[in-house]
Amino acid sequence: MINSILRFVLIFILLILLQILLFNNIQFSGYVNPYVYLMFILLLPVEIPSWVLLLLSFATGLVMDIFSGSAGMHTSATVLAGFVRPYVLRLISPRDGYETGSDPSMVTYGFRWFFTYVLLIVLVHHTTLFYLEVFRFADFFRTMLRVLLSSLFTVTFILLIEYYRRGK
Amino acid sequence: MRSLLNFLARYDNLIIFLILEGITIYLLASGNNYQNTRVVNGIRSLTHGIEEKINNTRTYLNLREINENLAAENIALRNSIGRLVKRENSLFFSVSDSIYRQQYLHTPAEVIDNSINRQKNFFTLNKGRSQGVEVEMAVTSGESVAGVIVGCSENFSVAMSLLNIDFRLSARIKSNGYFGSLSWDGRDYRNAVLSEIPQHVTVNVGDTIETTGYSAIFPEGIMIGTVSDYEKKGGDFYIIAVTMQTDFKKIHFVDIIGNMKKTEQLDLEKLFQ
Repeated sequence: MINSILRFVLIFILLILLQILLFNNIQFSGYVNPYVYLMFILLLPVEIPSWVLLLLSFATGLVMDIFSGSAGMHTSATVLAGFVRPYVLRLISPRDGYETGSDPSMVTYGFRWFFTYVLLIVLVHHTTLFYLEVFRFADFFRTMLRVLLSSLFTVTFILLIEYYRRGK
Repeated sequence: MRSLLNFLARYDNLIIFLILEGITIYLLASGNNYQNTRVVNGIRSLTHGIEEKINNTRTYLNLREINENLAAENIALRNSIGRLVKRENSLFFSVSDSIYRQQYLHTPAEVIDNSINRQKNFFTLNKGRSQGVEVEMAVTSGESVAGVIVGCSENFSVAMSLLNIDFRLSARIKSNGYFGSLSWDGRDYRNAVLSEIPQHVTVNVGDTIETTGYSAIFPEGIMIGTVSDYEKKGGDFYIIAVTMQTDFKKIHFVDIIGNMKKTEQLDLEKLFQ
């Protein structure tokens, strides 16, 4: 128990550092901003109580907001992502249900399951985030393009990190 | 009471969710308005320490280039001093006339945090209220427009970058003096859009775009960029793409410009509105 909490604290710090120092500096013409820190919420155990998940999502978003100087944008998006996660898990649950005490990982449930899971939650998160950022519907389709392109990159990076984790 | 408790127990997740989202909406509402950057400022002061460390490392890596830029700027300044001294000597000033008083006050500052990949970009400077910086002062980088101060704390200030979709700037074409409104469309960090220039005006690729000084924030004639493309689209106005002079990706040493006659101008203008 203590061990696993320690592990998640470590993952949290690593992902936040990765986001701030590396991914926040990525700049492809303003359309691609991957937000890989979201992976923390995705990696939490399947059976985590929803309220803990929500509070952790809130904390994650708040840390990101503090470091990027944006008030409430990331928090709003991560809390929504944390809220829909249980529903997404139920929606795409494998035929035999989830193993007790398992993490939602590629090793346990396979590539296709993991991909769908990541894609759905990243889309929810990025849609909220980018529309809140612009805060107007004037450039609706351009914002949508940004959402789609950024989601593509976020999902790719998350899958790469997951592959690397599996290799260990 | 019992049914209320049951209700709360059944929808506990939804309730927690709504409370948390409520908090974020409060943060958004009080932080998004750029005139009211209280929350942003508060939050930013927490991370200044870390940002300064990161910034120090980055500056060290770019020392060579920064030195070259500073040397070039020094030469330019020395040249302009030469011109001024000559002019002073050629006239005999003995009257203390307010018309010859300095209008703009420059303060050098360093950018310690910057972003270019959002739709609403801000940067943080290492000078604040105790160094005389105030809200609505202009920020320039190497003689070209960079942003406007929107919030100050004791020792830091936050400026709204030109790369912010809320930014509006009165700008004109240097060669013929026609003015319009310049803003960033949120696409490319090198390009801004100049609108409201009527179609009978001749525009050429490469024309210089500069500030008008109408807003009492920026002095007149500060370089913004050059015309890279233009098109006639419906209506009576051009849509002109402007390549900005300032490279926001490596902006570091900036100049904060305060207009000492701003209140006088605004007070007078208020009488006729």
